[in-house]
Amino acid sequence: MVSKLNPILVNTLLAFFCGLLLLWFSFAFPGVTQRMVDLSGAVLHTLELPAQELRLLVQATGNWIMERKSLQDRNRELELENLTLRTVLQRATAPTPPPDSAVGMIVARVTLRYPDAWWKEIRIDKGLNQGVMVGAPALSDGFIIGRVVRAGGDYSWVELVTSASFLLAAVVDDTWDLGVINGDDMGNIWLLYTPPEVEFTRGMVVSTALVGDYLPPGIPIGNIWSQGETRDGFMPQKIVSGAHLTQLYNVQILGNGAESAPRIPK
Amino acid sequence: MIASLLVWLLQDFMQVLAMGIMLVPEFFLLVVLYKLISGPLVSVRIAGWIWFAFLGGVLWDLRWAASPGMGGLINVLALVLVYWVWDRTPAGGRSALLFAALASCAHFLSGIARYVAWAVPSQAALRLFAIQQLLAVPVLVGLCMIYAFKVPQTHV
Repeated sequence: MVSKLNPILVNTLLAFFCGLLLLWFSFAFPGVTQRMVDLSGAVLHTLELPAQELRLLVQATGNWIMERKSLQDRNRELELENLTLRTVLQRATAPTPPPDSAVGMIVARVTLRYPDAWWKEIRIDKGLNQGVMVGAPALSDGFIIGRVVRAGGDYSWVELVTSASFLLAAVVDDTWDLGVINGDDMGNIWLLYTPPEVEFTRGMVVSTALVGDYLPPGIPIGNIWSQGETRDGFMPQKIVSGAHLTQLYNVQILGNGAESAPRIPK
Repeated sequence: MIASLLVWLLQDFMQVLAMGIMLVPEFFLLVVLYKLISGPLVSVRIAGWIWFAFLGGVLWDLRWAASPGMGGLINVLALVLVYWVWDRTPAGGRSALLFAALASCAHFLSGIARYVAWAVPSQAALRLFAIQQLLAVPVLVGLCMIYAFKVPQTHV
């Protein structure tokens, strides 16, 4: 019995040691771990392709059964067109000459969303090879849902607006008050640093502001929902995103030109 | 082991399909447990399954959890516990029912460990966990039936 148990015990302990070592390694060297994660994702991508296609097929079929698919597509087209027109309009009225590069929308599929980082980031199936640039905004249903923080050849990571580390200059369209969009890792979005004396009402639209280096102004983020508690002389506003952040299957990335989009006053 | 590898891929395939909707049951762990107890309990063979379960868990972590090691540890722990009980059970008592009990315990422990380690405690997460456990039942029943019809003729 002892001779039978020993090799098993030794291998079990070795496996445990390796597991703990890997666990420590993943926390000590997150960059290397991230590369390993990306590598495994890339290796499995081809094998998972049929599942992804099947998933899309099931989704499309479901939409068709509910007679909503065509309406949703049409709505998405109009929103993209609206956004493109808005960007073109901004470029046309910009005081500085517009850049040569054209603003293009890159449609990407969400390939990974960790449960423990559900409100922090997602991975998409488009990367540098498809024109995705770090810093480019990601949209869904015409509303900004995050921005690209890392990009590989055929994949990118998008930090969501609900992430606690996400900071973005924003403006309330109706009052022209500036603030900073910030998440809390729990699905909430806040507009920070808004003055308490201004009366913000529910439904006011919040868009990206002119002060961002990477994001074009005027991209809608969401609507004001309620006021938070006054702190340090400011009253944060709770924002409801216009996009369905809990169900992100496809996103649009503002492609070439996102970094050099013109910044003009409204 | 090739069959277990295919089951790992199938689990991955299903998780891609169900991403954002539900957590796929640990088919890989269940099949590895079945393979472990359905063959002779030889040390070298058991050690092989320990490492196979470990690597399967690590790869799953790399694909879906971003903290490699945890899944491997959970798999190894579940495997060793099941082996420990199975090995100490007299041959006459090694029934499909016992396998069902051990495998469901292992699956439950694996699920609860991942839930505690990664999920933000909420009703939604608990619901996902419950659905994952329920979906494992048909697979467990299937494996038990295979065990009941095939294994006694060859190993008891």
